[in-house]
Amino acid sequence: MTNNNLFSVDQLTIKFGGLTAVDRVSFRVEPGSIFSIIGPNGAGKTTIFNCINGLYKPDAGSIIFKGEDIVGQKPHRIARKGIARTFQNIELFSRMTTMENLMLGRHIHMKTNVWTGATFFRRGSKAAQDEIKHRERVEKIIDLLDLQSARNQFVGGLPYGTQKLIELGRALALEPELLLLDEPSAGMNSEEKQDLVFWIKDIQDELGLTILLIEHDMKMVMDISDLILVINFGKPITEGKPEEVQRHPEVLKAYLGEDEVIDQSA
Amino acid sequence: MFLQLVVSGLSFGSLYALIALAMVIIYKTSEVPNFGQGEMAMISTFVAFTLLVTHGYSFAVSFIGAFIFAAALGVFLEFVFLRRAKDPNILSLILITLGFQMVLYGLASWKWGADQKDFPFPVSDFDVINIGSAVISYLNIATLLITLFLMFMLFLFFRYTKVGIAMKATQQNAMAARINGIRTNRIMSITWALSSMIGAVAGMLLAPIATLDPNLMLEPLLKGFAAAVLGGMTTLVGAALGGYILGVIENLFGGYISLEFKSIVAFLIIVLVLCFKPSGLFAKHYVRKV
Amino acid sequence: MDMKRDYYEDIQLLNSKILWFWFIMLIASLATLPFLLPNYHIYMVNYMAINVIVTVGLNILVGYTGQISLGHAGFFAIGAYGTVLLMTNLHFPFLLALVCSALIAAFFGFILGLPALRLEGPYLAIATLGFGMAITQVIGRWQVFGGRMGLEAPDLSLGPFVIDTDRQLYFVIVTIAFLLILAARNMMKTRVGRAFIAIRDSDIAAETMGVNLTLYKTLAFAVSAFYAGVAGGLMAFLLGFINPSSFNFILSIYFLAFVIVGGLGSIFGSIMGAVVMTWLLLTLDKVQELPYLGAVLVSFSERWMNLAGLPNIASIIFGLIIILLVVFEPLGLYGFWIRTKIYWKTWPF
Ligand SMILES: Nc1ncnc2c1ncn2[C@@H]1O[C@H](COP(=O)(O)OP(=O)(O)OP(=O)(O)O)[C@@H](O)[C@H]1O
Ligand SMILES: [Mg+2]
Repeated sequence: MTNNNLFSVDQLTIKFGGLTAVDRVSFRVEPGSIFSIIGPNGAGKTTIFNCINGLYKPDAGSIIFKGEDIVGQKPHRIARKGIARTFQNIELFSRMTTMENLMLGRHIHMKTNVWTGATFFRRGSKAAQDEIKHRERVEKIIDLLDLQSARNQFVGGLPYGTQKLIELGRALALEPELLLLDEPSAGMNSEEKQDLVFWIKDIQDELGLTILLIEHDMKMVMDISDLILVINFGKPITEGKPEEVQRHPEVLKAYLGEDEVIDQSA
Repeated sequence: MFLQLVVSGLSFGSLYALIALAMVIIYKTSEVPNFGQGEMAMISTFVAFTLLVTHGYSFAVSFIGAFIFAAALGVFLEFVFLRRAKDPNILSLILITLGFQMVLYGLASWKWGADQKDFPFPVSDFDVINIGSAVISYLNIATLLITLFLMFMLFLFFRYTKVGIAMKATQQNAMAARINGIRTNRIMSITWALSSMIGAVAGMLLAPIATLDPNLMLEPLLKGFAAAVLGGMTTLVGAALGGYILGVIENLFGGYISLEFKSIVAFLIIVLVLCFKPSGLFAKHYVRKV
Repeated sequence: MDMKRDYYEDIQLLNSKILWFWFIMLIASLATLPFLLPNYHIYMVNYMAINVIVTVGLNILVGYTGQISLGHAGFFAIGAYGTVLLMTNLHFPFLLALVCSALIAAFFGFILGLPALRLEGPYLAIATLGFGMAITQVIGRWQVFGGRMGLEAPDLSLGPFVIDTDRQLYFVIVTIAFLLILAARNMMKTRVGRAFIAIRDSDIAAETMGVNLTLYKTLAFAVSAFYAGVAGGLMAFLLGFINPSSFNFILSIYFLAFVIVGGLGSIFGSIMGAVVMTWLLLTLDKVQELPYLGAVLVSFSERWMNLAGLPNIASIIFGLIIILLVVFEPLGLYGFWIRTKIYWKTWPF
């Protein structure tokens, strides 16, 4: 086991009744890289994410993060270790404002408890200081993602693309080392998608994050991934650099439709 | 002593089983635990009482009248209130049934006052027969038999009648049932009517033992829930068995451990079941999808 | 490009001079109120303040964290009996007894919260219903608690001050209610409250962002039970006498009705809900004395119903209010207030 590997998954398997949703999937992710998982609908991509952050307990296999097997740990523990994610079907706190959503991302870094929270009455109180300190970080993320206009609005009513960004912001607020993005560009128009690509690269450069990406937009995947894993029916088909993957015959057959390959050459 | 406790436990248990059945039938179709169940039964029992005592009708007429009332009440509540919920999440549905509970409780207390009434019944609670060392009253026997008979009828109903089968289909998958031409709204009404009538039976069997007042069903409501939870909330057989098990455990607890705390057994059972086997003793577990 | 924002202002209670002004006005009027009101009304205000405490606490659980409790009368009872027993048997001073029994209530809340972790809506409702009933049963049968006869509240004194009128009690109750409201408001503005709300809106996301569901769900129960416990302890002294039938299932539903009427997830709404509904409750208690309506109801009762049962129309009206609000105005009075505010803001246009 090499220690410089931040993250690796080994022989991951999970079954739902008779269906093996993920079947002996293994991969490793170099620190600071962007690793993409692609595959047709129902291939088991989201299920892999759910296993990684502890929402599902896999039936077999291991998930090593920073040298430790995190299988079987509770989601909140895994979050504390430095893994954050976004969801395919937005899971924002809809009756909170954008700012509050991002502040929740700071949860694990903050210290306020019931007592200090209930009894702050001065600027100098612990809870107030805690809030102020973490607000500063949150404001940086708001600036980074250009969310100023949405800052004090309830997220439930914001446009879909904006909500996706807020989810990204919330995940960033956690200061993860590993970021899982589940179809971040779904529902965005091409302009928003370009911005998103720019942001993801930017974030990765600036914060040195490792990113695990599920994405259906081939152009985007080919554009930003360092490595790509293709799965179908829960099984790995191939893994490699973008240009290798898109030449793989089974990938062409199983997944990449004609137009998308052509689109890529444009 | 042991036999005695078991026998009378079974008799009480069959009442719990009836209430649990009534709840589960609704829970399976509407996915709402009906907190008004007890009061629906209580008020139907009062209707029987009024027909019987105040107006002097025969048992047959009074009981049939009460059943018709119970059915109408069930249909009414479902149609007028539950179906109107704009955002039918669990919390609002629960609150609506709690609303019924309050309204019915208030109505009954207003109409019949809080003083306790004796509910006449064609079978006596004082004539007894001996089974080995245990004594059992005619009323207990009648309760057991009526319950078993009702369960058998329910079994036939869900197995062989068109409405029963449609009801089962709706419970399993309302959307698919609707596509297949089942009028699920009507099924919903029938479900509430049926459930309300089963509850009424429980009320009328309980009233002669307990004396009739608006609080008649407050505790049995909890017992019914405990039985239903024990059985997993979603199976009729489970609910029935849960009722009997609860009745017996409760009685044994009262006999051997503490009479004072007998009535918290139901609560303890709920908590224990939910902690260790939330899907109940007889139902299958399922995983929520993210 | 922009001047640095002061983030403290966003969470500060009074971030402008005008608010300070109103805040001081509020305190001044609360302080003079008991000298202007006749005795019965002071009693009513005390009753309201106690219900405000329970309602704010219950709203933290139901409105903010999205869990349900049909057993809050149980925590209320623990607070009431705990305070009285600690004072009479162990001679605790009042405030200590009050805090201790509220903590006991909180502990019970915590315990009850444990199964709640695994439970979705319907099961949680059933379990809490069972809890409330079990508590009533136990205090009704156990001699320590005075059985069916109940217990008398001991004499009350705070340091050198003897408190034996409703007017004196007013200052105790209203001060405590005031502090607990501020505490709830602060809590909801900071980390813990945010975690509660997050759990309500999406427990999955909350969990993956590092919120310990076990801890925070039970914490919400404990905090909520603490509020109910304090309120119960105060109620013992307002009534002067407690018995098991004052803490039944119906009371738990009343509490829930206060929350619904005020509006889920709003502290200000909770205050309005508790005040309005307590007024309604106490008025309906003596409905036959109302002008016109009273006489109509009395003759209607005599003709069709039963005069002795007339006060029970409170239960009917509460039930109907719950149903109608859930169906037509799930935001309660708070929603109504927000809409009027918006209406007036844009008024002449
Ligand atoms: N909790 C669950 N219970 C049962 N089956 C599940 C559960 N979660 C996922 N599945 C099944 O596992 C399979 C993989 O689902 P998954 O959501 O991982 O697909 P995906 O690759 O993310 O697809 P998409 O591109 O549509 O998002 C599907 O057949 C799905 O129905
Ligand atoms: Mg997916």
